[in-house]
Amino acid sequence: MAAKQKKNNKPKRKSVQTDPIQAAADYGIDVSALIDNAGRSCTERIKRHQIALNTAEKLGKAKRL
Amino acid sequence: MNSDFSNLLERLVKAGVDFVIVGGFAGVVHGCTYVTQDVDICCDFSADNLLALQKAISDLNPVHRMTPGRKKLQLTEQTCGQFKNLYLDTKIGRLDCLSFIDGLGDYDQVKRESRLVEVEDIKICVLNLEALIKAKRAMNRPRDREAVLQLEAIKKLKNSQ
Repeated sequence: MAAKQKKNNKPKRKSVQTDPIQAAADYGIDVSALIDNAGRSCTERIKRHQIALNTAEKLGKAKRL
Repeated sequence: MNSDFSNLLERLVKAGVDFVIVGGFAGVVHGCTYVTQDVDICCDFSADNLLALQKAISDLNPVHRMTPGRKKLQLTEQTCGQFKNLYLDTKIGRLDCLSFIDGLGDYDQVKRESRLVEVEDIKICVLNLEALIKAKRAMNRPRDREAVLQLEAIKKLKNSQ
């Protein structure tokens, strides 16, 4: 019993939790762009995404010519 | 082809299609900065719902983009039951319709973990942030792992606002 108690009282190893914003930045994600997006409405985010997608599609087409 | 995802979604909403935006585009709605080339929706795969979906996009030349020869979308009440997913291409963008989401479950479960957002005066169901992170973790492709990093950062930003 005592041995069991001793085992249970072992200090738990602390999990290494990195800050999600720091983790994103470390990966190379532009966190300032995420912060800008956080201040936008869903409509604005979708509109901006559409512009980016249309530009990417145009560039893709031009590359194929 | 020039994509117009807003138009695509507006058509589905106006036709009364029961669906939830999932996948990369749900991430965009939540604030992710990547560009996704298709809209993924999880929807009720009942014949009524799929036929409503087909009607909503019928003038957009919808085709099954994964089939040889890109077969035209021609669902009937009888054939609707054959599908678990539909990978479509239309004149205004790709639309993937899924009946099940890894890490979450079927449409009913996905719907429970969604919320309504207003986009240009139209209310659309979008998977909530927590559930989207769960689904992306379950998929675990390189692009999903990057999406999780963005979504976790967005969650932190939201909580600190």
